[in-house]
Amino acid sequence: MSAIRNFDVGLVIAVVLLITFGLTAIYSATYVGEKQTEFTKQLLWAVLGLVVLTAVVVTPLKSYYKNAYLLYGLSVILLVVVLFVGKGAGTRRWIALGPAWIQPAEFAKIGTLLALSRYLSNEHRKLDNLRELTVAFAIAFVPLALVMKQPDLGSALVFLALVLPVLHWAGLSPAILFVLLAPLASLLSAFNYYSFLIVMILLSVTFLLCQRGLTFFLVNFIINIGVGILTPIVWNLLKEYQKNRILTFLGLVRDPHGLGYQVIQSKVAIGSGGLLGKGFLDGTQTHLRFLPEQHTDFIFCVIGEEFGFIGVFLVLALFFYLVVKGIRISTSVKSKFSSVVVFGATIIFLFQIFVNIGMTVGIMPVTGLPLPFLSYGGSSLLANLILVGLILNASRKRFEYL
Amino acid sequence: MVHEYQNLRRVYLGIAIGLFIILVARLAYLQIFSWDTYYRESERNRVRDVVIEAPRGLLLDRNGEIMVDNRPAYSVSVIPYEFLESQSATSLLASILNESSVELVKAVRKEKIGNFSAVKVKRHIDFSVLSSIEEYRLDLPGVFYAVDSKRYYPAGIRAPHLFGYLSEITRDELSQVEDREYRMGDLIGKNGIEIIYEPYLRGQSGVKYIEVDVLGREVRELPELAGSSPQSGKNLYMTIDADVQRYLEKAMEGKRGAAVVLDPSNGEVLAIMSKPDYDPEIFSNPLTPEIWSALINNEEHPLYNRACQSLYPPGSIYKLVLAAAGLETGLIDLEETVTCYGSYRLGRRQFKCWKEKGHGEVNLLDAIQQSCNVYFYKKGLDVGLANWSKFSRFFRFGSKTGIDLPNEGSGLVPDAVYFDAKYGVKKWTRGLTLNLAVGQGELLTTPLQMAYFAMIVGNEGTAFRPHLVRKIEDPNTGESIEPGRERRQIVGISKSTYRTIKQGMYLVVNGPHGTGRASWVRGLNVCGKTGTAQNPHGNSHAWFIGFAPKDNPKIAFCVMVENGGGGGAVAAPIARGILTTYFRDNQLALGQ
Repeated sequence: MSAIRNFDVGLVIAVVLLITFGLTAIYSATYVGEKQTEFTKQLLWAVLGLVVLTAVVVTPLKSYYKNAYLLYGLSVILLVVVLFVGKGAGTRRWIALGPAWIQPAEFAKIGTLLALSRYLSNEHRKLDNLRELTVAFAIAFVPLALVMKQPDLGSALVFLALVLPVLHWAGLSPAILFVLLAPLASLLSAFNYYSFLIVMILLSVTFLLCQRGLTFFLVNFIINIGVGILTPIVWNLLKEYQKNRILTFLGLVRDPHGLGYQVIQSKVAIGSGGLLGKGFLDGTQTHLRFLPEQHTDFIFCVIGEEFGFIGVFLVLALFFYLVVKGIRISTSVKSKFSSVVVFGATIIFLFQIFVNIGMTVGIMPVTGLPLPFLSYGGSSLLANLILVGLILNASRKRFEYL
Repeated sequence: MVHEYQNLRRVYLGIAIGLFIILVARLAYLQIFSWDTYYRESERNRVRDVVIEAPRGLLLDRNGEIMVDNRPAYSVSVIPYEFLESQSATSLLASILNESSVELVKAVRKEKIGNFSAVKVKRHIDFSVLSSIEEYRLDLPGVFYAVDSKRYYPAGIRAPHLFGYLSEITRDELSQVEDREYRMGDLIGKNGIEIIYEPYLRGQSGVKYIEVDVLGREVRELPELAGSSPQSGKNLYMTIDADVQRYLEKAMEGKRGAAVVLDPSNGEVLAIMSKPDYDPEIFSNPLTPEIWSALINNEEHPLYNRACQSLYPPGSIYKLVLAAAGLETGLIDLEETVTCYGSYRLGRRQFKCWKEKGHGEVNLLDAIQQSCNVYFYKKGLDVGLANWSKFSRFFRFGSKTGIDLPNEGSGLVPDAVYFDAKYGVKKWTRGLTLNLAVGQGELLTTPLQMAYFAMIVGNEGTAFRPHLVRKIEDPNTGESIEPGRERRQIVGISKSTYRTIKQGMYLVVNGPHGTGRASWVRGLNVCGKTGTAQNPHGNSHAWFIGFAPKDNPKIAFCVMVENGGGGGAVAAPIARGILTTYFRDNQLALGQ
């Protein structure tokens, strides 16, 4: 009985609906006649995922806390292993596990989240000294670097997107948050001499206003100058396709057959769906394969084309419900560990949703990030269901202090 | 703890709401406000109009035998988007087509219109190439073959100078054609009948709408979009007699020269040919610079149509023109004789007769029969350059006959004005007139003009524009038009003059000393005249013109063999073959 009590049914229904939407879109995107390999596989993963989710929910929260570093360690080891034995088109992303292929990067998100949560939920953490901040960042940056190496820019960004909000959530002061965000501004402005100069002046003024002494000011100033100088150097070390993605997004490269082509076709698919869509299995962009990666990263276009604005609005509403629910649960749980876990999981969802959908509608760069619950891919689905399991778990026991 | 989260919760709920509003707004913009734009875009992606090529009109001979037909052929096309991506596909296809991979890629880049529109890389591939492509299909992404049509020549006559050939329309030509009927990659007539009758031969292509996938592969037809069906081009019933043409193809094989055979009763061209020729097939694919320069620099000049484009001195045949001028002006008397000692002296120069021992005493008919130079040297001086030029023009030398073939040459009839311009006033001598009198020197004619001249003499003053098409028939409706004959009366020459010349030509073939006896056919009363034109390029050009029978001729012809030697020995026997072929069913004429 206690397993059912406090079980957030709404959240479960939302997730199941999202998966159903995903399966429908995958069915359509890979429809070539009788065989439905991808659909069947994804269905099996969904069933397995829901079983795992249940297991995650009924496992005592304490054991996640206890095993957080162990799980993190395992994740990192898997990420190292995949660099040696991994497969993928020009990348090393997948490991064969029996008949299935798993993507360690997806599971590393969970391990990292748990480890960060445990580290940050310690009562003595004040997050006002360099040592603690370094450790927190290191927890996120080790898997990030390993994922970058595969290379998988999209997944790597998730670790980056996770770390700052979680630190903020765990009590990092806005001043330090600003100090941490400042190098990003330096980085973005570093390609132009004048913009860099203006940003440096603004940053310096703000640092002075913090009134934390000369050392604080000088260290920050030097760091930001350093970022500005290093950025062009690092840029030259990036792989050609990575540069192209960034440039195409910024509209600096016109390349209709490259990444620009993908975005054009995905916008055409969504836009041509109109209000009501072209109907299930009637999307021409989808079925004539004008859409790239239509059952994985661009699955949202299939819904946009075949079910129109009504369809995508429904999907967005479900996602919005999930995110709002996550934020609410994270503020209502008694345990700080649970709170950070739930918040972190929600941030992972929010980031992936916005970046993926933003990519398909042409307002975000093409980063190769799956859409949670909808994109084809067992690892991603399973990992996301585990995250949901963690949220449900915390929600059930929101009055426990661990 | 719950309390300290209140602010954070507000911040992150705000961020989430903001992000979702951005997405919804963007989606509304794409799907509701810009829906029609994107919908049109998606339709343009998937709907392709496919041109269904119309069968080109056929060329048939005067008896209905098909000379130029269409036959299905395979061509290889590539989709640039897929094909150019794959290094292995480009090199594999290049090796199958026996071309260089670099050239292939260059050609595709040059020809492509869009990344998803097929580019034809090679037409008319043979079966082994086709089966290789089929075999390596999986290794050749973006490569496919399609059936289109090519010309073929079931009568065994390829005569590229007559028929012309087809080749893909060039970008320049595409920009010149007014009507929108042509598209990149279409075949267009080049040269010969194919270019002159292009508007008739070319059918009206149809169109169908298909749905294609991202690789441009047809998924299905879209019957909801009505297309149009192709209309075949019109068939040309030509004036050509396939048997005579075939005979000439064989008789002239390995020679350089030309032959023209006319029906003097209406100007219909029974046969026209020029050798050496070339294989019209080489133009079916884009010409490589090597092939082109090989054709251009070939010393035999196979591209020239020797029958109506190339210009030659006609040699002794032209004595007939001088004879006509002399008779009309009264400067030649039939009975008057000239004694030929084998050469004629003008000033310090000796002008030789072809017979070293001389012809002795000859009158006009003797001189024509034996082609005596000395007689005509003398008469040339008597008649004079002015009369010679005037009468040359009466016979339409120096102007085009108006045949329906491209690039007809008009030739050159020199006169005093011409020589004054060329050598300076008073800087030239009467020796030039002497050369012209025997058809040498600056005089230039085409074999077609010489056959035309034979027709005028045979008809005793009536000419018809030489033409190649009797009837243009629309196979779709059965309607036809007949261009008809175009009569031209020659003025300034009397019947009696024609009869004298005809008598002379009769003697050339039938007389005891005739130079053209090799063209003699029993019972046919063949009339002819030989010519052996000296030229600076080696052996003399062998000429023979004539008509038969003497009265109401049914055929007029000209045979010319470049550097062939004597007209009577080389050209006249070919003329005999023309006659026996043309009159093959006429037992009386052949005396069998």
